[in-house]
Amino acid sequence: MNHFENIKENDFRSELLTETSNPRKKPNGRIRKMVRSLHRDIGYFCIGMTIVFAVSGLAVNHIDDWNPNYEVTRQSKAISISSELKQSEQLNSILLEQLGLDLKVRAEFWESENRFKLFAEADITVEVDFKNQIAVIESISQRPILSAFNRLHLNEVNRAWVIFSDLFAILLLFLAFSSFFMLKGKNGVFSLKGLWVVAGVIVPAVFIAI
Amino acid sequence: MKKFLGFILLTFFSTSIWAVENRSFGEGAKMDKLIAISKVLASPQKYLGKEITVVGTIVSVCSKRGCWMKLASDKKFQTLRIKVRDGDMVFPFNAKGQTAYATGQLKPIELTKEKAIAYLAHLAEEAKEEFDPTSVTGAMTIYQLSPTGVTIKYSGS
Repeated sequence: MNHFENIKENDFRSELLTETSNPRKKPNGRIRKMVRSLHRDIGYFCIGMTIVFAVSGLAVNHIDDWNPNYEVTRQSKAISISSELKQSEQLNSILLEQLGLDLKVRAEFWESENRFKLFAEADITVEVDFKNQIAVIESISQRPILSAFNRLHLNEVNRAWVIFSDLFAILLLFLAFSSFFMLKGKNGVFSLKGLWVVAGVIVPAVFIAI
Repeated sequence: MKKFLGFILLTFFSTSIWAVENRSFGEGAKMDKLIAISKVLASPQKYLGKEITVVGTIVSVCSKRGCWMKLASDKKFQTLRIKVRDGDMVFPFNAKGQTAYATGQLKPIELTKEKAIAYLAHLAEEAKEEFDPTSVTGAMTIYQLSPTGVTIKYSGS
């Protein structure tokens, strides 16, 4: 079987065959091959960053619907604290005992005569409403992977990261522009396939216009 | 190879991204400009346009964007809001109960009588207390700090 017969004219492999059979390669072909190799390798390099930005982008886009960084649980419990106990130095320990919590207190704050907050270890806050004899235990836990992605996405890490993400942006620009020189012929960007590029420009343009 | 990849991931997620220590935002706080919040709020006009540093326990934080936090004053029931433009600094929601130092300028916010009523009604609702709108007789001014630097001192998990 002749393998050459299976490779059609517009298949990119035809170019490779031409290169093999003809030692004097055209300069355009060499550049196209180089661009394709760079596009491939830079594309591989950008996978990690793309995942970080894409996942975090989805999470942060919907910030009004959920908290992408923290999981917050709130639980209400009835308490029984008299006016005398409210003034007591034992208030914190009595409160924690009534709520069944065994935690070290970080700080406390009187919001008003009847509203008191206790900040405990393990990111637990107890909000006490003495008037209605109710305590709300709020527990905060960080979403491990997602909050790290969000910190990176929102440039909260350090200056070096800003430089690296600038580099990532430049690499994305390279990936975009190099795609013009990946293929030629009926699948090239200067064929009907170029309409995809036009569509990709029109979509954001429409959103700006409306 | 798998062990190496595991080590890299472990190092990545256990270092700077997760480190719980003193955290600075912006330029960090300037400790030599420290003034008590009660003193600032007692005569705010005196501090307008000046760079000051305040300190207090973080008693609440913007849960979504981390764009503001309230510091407890040294005076009972009093707080000062530290507010940044979205994204300039992101205060961690789980920093409640920690001590924060904030350096910046005090900014006045003028409220018309209607806005003052709405503001105080909102505060009363938050505090689950009754509010009488007729107690507001005119416009009012509230103050918040616009920081250039913040340092949060963590006292343990």
